[in-house]
Amino acid sequence: MPTSTQKPLELILARNLMSALSTPAFLVDEGGLLVFYNEAAGMLLGKPWEELGTVGAEEWGALFGPFDDAGEPIPYDTLPLVKAVRDDRPAHAEFEIRSTDGEGHRVEVSAFPIQTPHGSRGAIAVFWPAAGDAAGGTSA
Amino acid sequence: MRAKLWGTRGSVPSPGPETIRYGGNTSCVGVTLSDGSLLALDAGTGIRNLGLALPEEPSRLHILLTHLHLDHIQGLVFFAPCFRPQTEIVIWGPASPEASLRDRIARYISAPLSPIEVRELPCDVSFRSTPESEWEIGPARVRAASVSHRGPTLGYRIDDGPESLAYIPDHEPALGADLETLEDEWISGFGLAAGASLLIHDGQYADAEYPDHLGWGHSSTSHALSFARRTGAGRTVLFHHDPLHTDAQLDRLGEEARKQWAAAGGEPGAIELGVEGAELHVAAAAPGAVAAA
Repeated sequence: MPTSTQKPLELILARNLMSALSTPAFLVDEGGLLVFYNEAAGMLLGKPWEELGTVGAEEWGALFGPFDDAGEPIPYDTLPLVKAVRDDRPAHAEFEIRSTDGEGHRVEVSAFPIQTPHGSRGAIAVFWPAAGDAAGGTSA
Repeated sequence: MRAKLWGTRGSVPSPGPETIRYGGNTSCVGVTLSDGSLLALDAGTGIRNLGLALPEEPSRLHILLTHLHLDHIQGLVFFAPCFRPQTEIVIWGPASPEASLRDRIARYISAPLSPIEVRELPCDVSFRSTPESEWEIGPARVRAASVSHRGPTLGYRIDDGPESLAYIPDHEPALGADLETLEDEWISGFGLAAGASLLIHDGQYADAEYPDHLGWGHSSTSHALSFARRTGAGRTVLFHHDPLHTDAQLDRLGEEARKQWAAAGGEPGAIELGVEGAELHVAAAAPGAVAAA
C-alpha cells in the first residue's frame, strides 16, 4: 500500500473550485488546520498562500486576527470556520481582519462544513467586505 | 497477479470493423490474484465475455465497481455467473447518502430497463459500499478512494504481495488543477497510484479534443501522462477509449503518447494503450515491471 498521504477528494475539489473564484475563500481540514486560501484571499491578507502554507490557530491569529469592534482578538474557537468544523453546522460572523501591512478590513464571513458519505472533511469560508468596507479597509 | 482487459472502451459500446483491434466493449478488467481467486474491475459489457470464460463450478467472486455510469454496469445482467445458484458474488461500489448501493444498481436491473430484478438473480449476490480503510480479498489488500469524475466515483488499488495494480478508468485530475506544479497530496488519485507496478488510467481524449470536453470527467493524453509521471507508476495502460476513436486514430494517439513520454524522459515501453483481450502480468513494483504475458 502507498504510504503517501493524500487530501480527501472533497478538499481537492473545493480547492480547485476556490482557485477559480474571485471571492476570497478559505479551506480548513477536519482537524481545523488552514490548508488553503485562494488568490483573492491572498490579496485581502497581503500574503499569497504559497508564501504562508498550512497554519494552525495560533499562527493565524497572530498574523491576521480577527478582531472585534474594540480591537480585541476574537477567540479562535468562536470563528465561523472553526464552528463549522466542530459543530458540523453553517456559521456566519462579522469582524475585522488585518492584512500584513496592518490595514484593517471589516468582513462578513460565511462558513459551511464539507460533508461526505464518510463524515465531515473540513469546511469552507467565504469572505465578503462588510457594508461600509467595500472601498477598502481602515488603518490599524 | 495477472490482469486481462475484457473491455477498454468508455461511454458506450462501439463494436465494428473500425474498432476491432482495440475493442468495442466497455470497461472491465479481470484480475487473477496469487491464490487464483478472481476480481472483476467494473462490469461494462466486457464482463459478458469474462463470465463466459469462467468455469461453472461453485465459486465466489468480487466485482469492484468504480461508479454506476452505464458503461461500468451494463454487463451485469449479461454476466453468466449471476445466473448460477452455486455462485456467490460480492459487488463493491461507492457509498452515497442518497440510497444504498443495491438500490442504486437496482434502478438499472429492474423494469423497464431490465427483464429481471435484482431479487430474481439466481446467484447469491450481496452489495457493499467500500470502506474508507483498506480491506482484504484473498491474499490481496484492496483500497478504494474517491477520484475526480462526475458523480461519486472510486479508483482502486490492489496489492498482492509486492505487486500492485491501480485502476482509475474515469478520472479528470487536471480539472481546475495544474498537475505539473501541484503538491502530491492535492492530486486526485495520487495515493492510489503512487509507485504502483501497473496503472490502468483514463486516457479518453487526445489533447486537441480535451478543451471541448473540459469537466466531462476524463483525461487528455497529456494529463494522463503527467499523472503517471507524478505518481511514479511502473507502467501505464491508457484506457477508456473514446467511442469515436477508430483503431487508426488510437494507433496515432498511442504514438503521440509514447513521444510525449519519451520527451519527458520517461522509461521506454512504460506507456501503452489498452487492447481488449490483452493479458498483463503484474510484476513487483519497479519501473517497467509489467510485462505482456
